Amino acid sequence: MTQPRPEIVSYANALLEAMDGALSQSPNTVILGQGADDHKGIFGSTTGLATKYGADRVSDMPLMEDGMTGIAVGLALNGVYPILTHIRSDFVLLSANQIINLIAKYKYMFGGLFEVPMLIRTVVGRSWGQGAQHSQSLQSLFAHIPGLTVVAPSSAETILDTYPYLIAKHRAPVISFEHRMLYNLDFEVDRSAAPANPLTPRVVRQGRDLTIVATSIMVLEARRAARWLADNADIQAEVIDLHCLSAIDPAVLMTSLGKTGRLLVCDTSWPGFGTAAEVCRLVVEQDPGVLKQPVRSLGMAPAPCPTAKALEDLYYPNLATVVDAAAALVRGRVDHGVPLPAEKTMSDIYKKFRGPF
Amino acid sequence: MPHTAAYREMFRTSLLIRRVEEKIIDLYPSDKIQSPVHLSIGQEAVSVGLCRALAPGDLVFGTYRSHALYVACGGDLTQMFAELMGRIGGISKGKAGSMHLAYPAGGLMGSSAVVASHIPHAVGSALAAKLHRSGQVVACVFGDGSLEEGVAHESFNYAALKQLPVLFVCENNALAVHSRIDSRQAFSIEAMARMYGFPYQRIDAGYDFEEVHRTSAATIDAIRTGVGPQFLEVATVRAKEHVGTGDDFGVGYRDRASYDAWCAKDPLLQDRATYDALIADIDAEITAAVAAAEASPAPGLEELLTDVL
Repeated sequence: MTQPRPEIVSYANALLEAMDGALSQSPNTVILGQGADDHKGIFGSTTGLATKYGADRVSDMPLMEDGMTGIAVGLALNGVYPILTHIRSDFVLLSANQIINLIAKYKYMFGGLFEVPMLIRTVVGRSWGQGAQHSQSLQSLFAHIPGLTVVAPSSAETILDTYPYLIAKHRAPVISFEHRMLYNLDFEVDRSAAPANPLTPRVVRQGRDLTIVATSIMVLEARRAARWLADNADIQAEVIDLHCLSAIDPAVLMTSLGKTGRLLVCDTSWPGFGTAAEVCRLVVEQDPGVLKQPVRSLGMAPAPCPTAKALEDLYYPNLATVVDAAAALVRGRVDHGVPLPAEKTMSDIYKKFRGPF
Repeated sequence: MPHTAAYREMFRTSLLIRRVEEKIIDLYPSDKIQSPVHLSIGQEAVSVGLCRALAPGDLVFGTYRSHALYVACGGDLTQMFAELMGRIGGISKGKAGSMHLAYPAGGLMGSSAVVASHIPHAVGSALAAKLHRSGQVVACVFGDGSLEEGVAHESFNYAALKQLPVLFVCENNALAVHSRIDSRQAFSIEAMARMYGFPYQRIDAGYDFEEVHRTSAATIDAIRTGVGPQFLEVATVRAKEHVGTGDDFGVGYRDRASYDAWCAKDPLLQDRATYDALIADIDAEITAAVAAAEASPAPGLEELLTDVL
């Protein structure tokens, strides 16, 4: 008997499918964003939709992030579901007033008189010299704010099981951090595997020796590192994709740590006051005794992102740094003896290798 | 000439707003209202004339100086006082307070304490009205200080670009907190409005609710026919300090004489006959609302985390 070949979908095509599905399912869904209707279509995630659904429903916007986000509030108050797009997440900061002061508070502040469900899609840049203002992963900044749902999908499958749920059923504002380097990658998709609550963390690899909690593209790096560790050192890493940063279920973390006792957090952003800090808070508030070793965390170096490739390669964690940190945790010493992959930068690898993951 | 029924109704609503706020001034030292209050005394006619010109289904957005708009939209007084007092019977269960009054049943879709942040909400609502071909008009009331904020200009540009059914109403009291308009704005409001292509009208007699109503009604009728956004500037006077219940004529940034000149024309102060005919009934209504609000309990722990998501 042969296994049926798994369905392969790229991240960008999963986004396009989710956008198309949202527009087709409700005439009250619209997409607004700079370039949402142009030939590049937000890196292929909205291509052709303006033609299919009309300029009123898939609309280019002036350079007005703050105003556009306020307009989304007005739309949402009147039963329209707005999907906003930003080709770089850094531009979302121009709309931080609307998101933090208004959108996050509109339901609570008015005692439930109003709801403003919407999806704000943002793209995190990396590689080819994106530099300090085109590369930020701002998920923890927004996950800090009560009233916002923050997701960072790591795969085509998580987009396909989460976006339709958020758009059709989640009556609250959502901000999603999509990763530009994931867009062109192919993923195996199992459409029958959708969890009942798509916002829970997902165990994407079982293991006994350590738990790697990861976000966004770092989930792929954690999975690659886990494979290396298994092949080269018989270390079995369990990998958890946090997926939703604003509602982390600590039970998923504690169940895994109950097995492994060792925690490595791999985030796309800075560790301080971020995902790594939050995961540690959740774990130690549950039971610090579950940890056999001090926690390790990997993320961007605590500096603005440099443009020079030589520095950028040092700025981000990569396969070797993940393997090194994991091996040191499991072996309990820095000179762990596990061979490290020669790979120096993730971006070079993903230029040639497109999956499937 | 005897006054029309419309005059008496608008006079009554304006006086109701003023007496509600004077009741707030009375109550404030008791600490029954534990939140900042930004009073509309002097500016009542703008909200009253405008809201009377809105049709059922039309929407309006306002600022933290939200009492006048709430009452003019027909908001319940008991729910208002309960809101100000932080009681569960408040229109927003006490979570909004004075600065964020809303009354969706009457079209008031929110009021924001971050200056100008509500302007795109009105524009987005007008975009929804256009998408739904609902025939609604959306009014957006803001102060002169809002025009210094970037988001106001982003919103004006988009409303003009898409020819949305929105009426921008600038309540110009020439003050932003303690700063006079001539120290803040390098442009004329009329020139700014015309730069976006908005038909512009100005009412100097901002105390005259009949004139505000006449102009608003004609403008809203025009917007409903599809002519696109319009801009109305109404000169008005803020009687009290920016926040709080006191007068601050003596502190140096404003003069008493222009306020006195305004009062000499204010129908609520000058038309004693209408005032005398209405005041007992209005005060009884307010007294009953305050008593009912005070009877409402404080929200409990179960409300603390309700409506976050």
